Amino acid sequence: MLDFIFPNYIVPDLLLLLFPFIVIGARLFCTAQSKLPWRIANVGFIAIFVLLNFIPLANGAGKFFISNWKVDDFGILMREVLIISAILGMWLSKDYFDHSGEKEQMHQIAEFIGAIAFATFGGFAVVSACDLLTFFLGLEIATIPMYALTAWNKKDQLGSEAATKYILMGSVATAFELFGFSYLYGFAGSLHFSEIQAAVSSGTSPLLWVAVLFLFCGIGFKLTLFPFHTWAPDVYEGAPTPVTAVISVTSKATAIAFLVVLVYGPFAPIQEQIAPLIALLAGTTLFVGNLGALKQSRLRRFMAYSSIAQAGYIMVALLGPASIAKTAIIYYLFIYAVSNYLAFFVFGIIGHYREETFASLRGLSKQNLGLAIALAVSMFSLAGIPPLAGFFGKFHLFFSSASTGHYAIVTFAVLNNVLALFYYIQLIKSAWVDEPEGTLSPLRLTKRQRNVVILLTIAIIALGILPFLSNNVFSGFSL
Amino acid sequence: MTLLNCLILAFLLFGIGVWGLMRRRHLVGMLISIELMLNAANINFISFAYFTAHDSTAGALFSIFVIAVTACEMAIALAIIVTMYRRHKSLDADQLRDLHD
Repeated sequence: MLDFIFPNYIVPDLLLLLFPFIVIGARLFCTAQSKLPWRIANVGFIAIFVLLNFIPLANGAGKFFISNWKVDDFGILMREVLIISAILGMWLSKDYFDHSGEKEQMHQIAEFIGAIAFATFGGFAVVSACDLLTFFLGLEIATIPMYALTAWNKKDQLGSEAATKYILMGSVATAFELFGFSYLYGFAGSLHFSEIQAAVSSGTSPLLWVAVLFLFCGIGFKLTLFPFHTWAPDVYEGAPTPVTAVISVTSKATAIAFLVVLVYGPFAPIQEQIAPLIALLAGTTLFVGNLGALKQSRLRRFMAYSSIAQAGYIMVALLGPASIAKTAIIYYLFIYAVSNYLAFFVFGIIGHYREETFASLRGLSKQNLGLAIALAVSMFSLAGIPPLAGFFGKFHLFFSSASTGHYAIVTFAVLNNVLALFYYIQLIKSAWVDEPEGTLSPLRLTKRQRNVVILLTIAIIALGILPFLSNNVFSGFSL
Repeated sequence: MTLLNCLILAFLLFGIGVWGLMRRRHLVGMLISIELMLNAANINFISFAYFTAHDSTAGALFSIFVIAVTACEMAIALAIIVTMYRRHKSLDADQLRDLHD
């Protein structure tokens, strides 16, 4: 297909780049009630996902397009994670545009989906970049739509406050990153990753260490690492629920990909030297995330701290060797995306009719058993209980780090998991054990919500109890 | 003019930006501080490109891209701040208190 103009492996990226313009353009030529933009969006995203699956995993260095756009196995699988996140985010948001229960209705779905698509394209650019400029632009394209998405409800006071905090913190992070990039450029004399790597392996200098420090500060904001995580709970709580879900998966996956590309690309020769920094950030982040989640009573704030802790767990894998760490991180991101979206779907359904707090979950098992089971599955998966997918994800993350002998941080992470189990079970307890106060307002599920909840629940269980699925992920390619 | 002079200038500008961000309670003032920090990085890029780098076009180009990206970011930031202003009729950062633990 189109092979005479573009090579096959670049087609999904080009489609995704055109996609928002098509959706927003379709919206211009239709009436406000028209379903056309929504249908185009569905077909487009799913087509991109299918096309990505047709690209053979090459077991190699990857293919280059105009010398600084690389499509390799890690890139393709990360693209699939990002597209899955975009599709689920779109489905989750749809009900907020149709009817909204007691919440304020959202408007302009075509532009909303367009913004999500742009953010996804930013993630694509980050995983394919071979030079600092593409890398920087990708990260910015992935972040800037998120600011707009957070403030999507113009009349929502909390939304605009969250967006203000987000954009101030995000811009500061950008400035730190850029400063780090400039020193890195000064150190290596070139923007291209291969030349930076050559310069780094031929010797270090204080300039390089300052650059590393600035870069970790910058990405620490975006990945919600410990000293820079304070914006996350406020933004997660203030943003509309589907936007919170997209931020927690797409933006986190992009930030992790950024670190993976850096640590196993230009910084590969000094990975052992920056290992203590990574271990320190990972350990403090997961400890602070777990401590913060213990005392929360509002669901989205709880999910914010939970995802801070998850970022810490993923950081642990960065201590390992390249191929094991990359596979473990991709596999975990798949599971994290699925579990997180399942939780957000359940919270979204409840949030249509009640406040999103722990108290609103009471009596859920008696009122709607299916939802209660889905919630329990997603929480147990996030906590990492053996039969479910989350356990294997965490196992591979810790295995990656242990294989290079970083046992202290692995022990610390496993002990922290016990702490995490406590608050995840607390949430399940309020859904299954606690008696409701007064009468419960009824919950109505649309067909889409029911199907997606069932699909995601089955996916989490299947990924866990059918290990050959994950074995395929691990044996199918080498990075 | 040596490389070191330029780097010290850029670092001072970055420091002023960070200091302004902490001290200012006005949202537009905070945005201007952020702008200072971003432009400090630009000075770094241009001075490295001029004095040392063997690939000097790339560094100069980078700063132009940064200016464009910053413009987009500031446009969105101002739009968000305008919605804040419509609600509160002030731009004091201390009013961002509705979301907390």
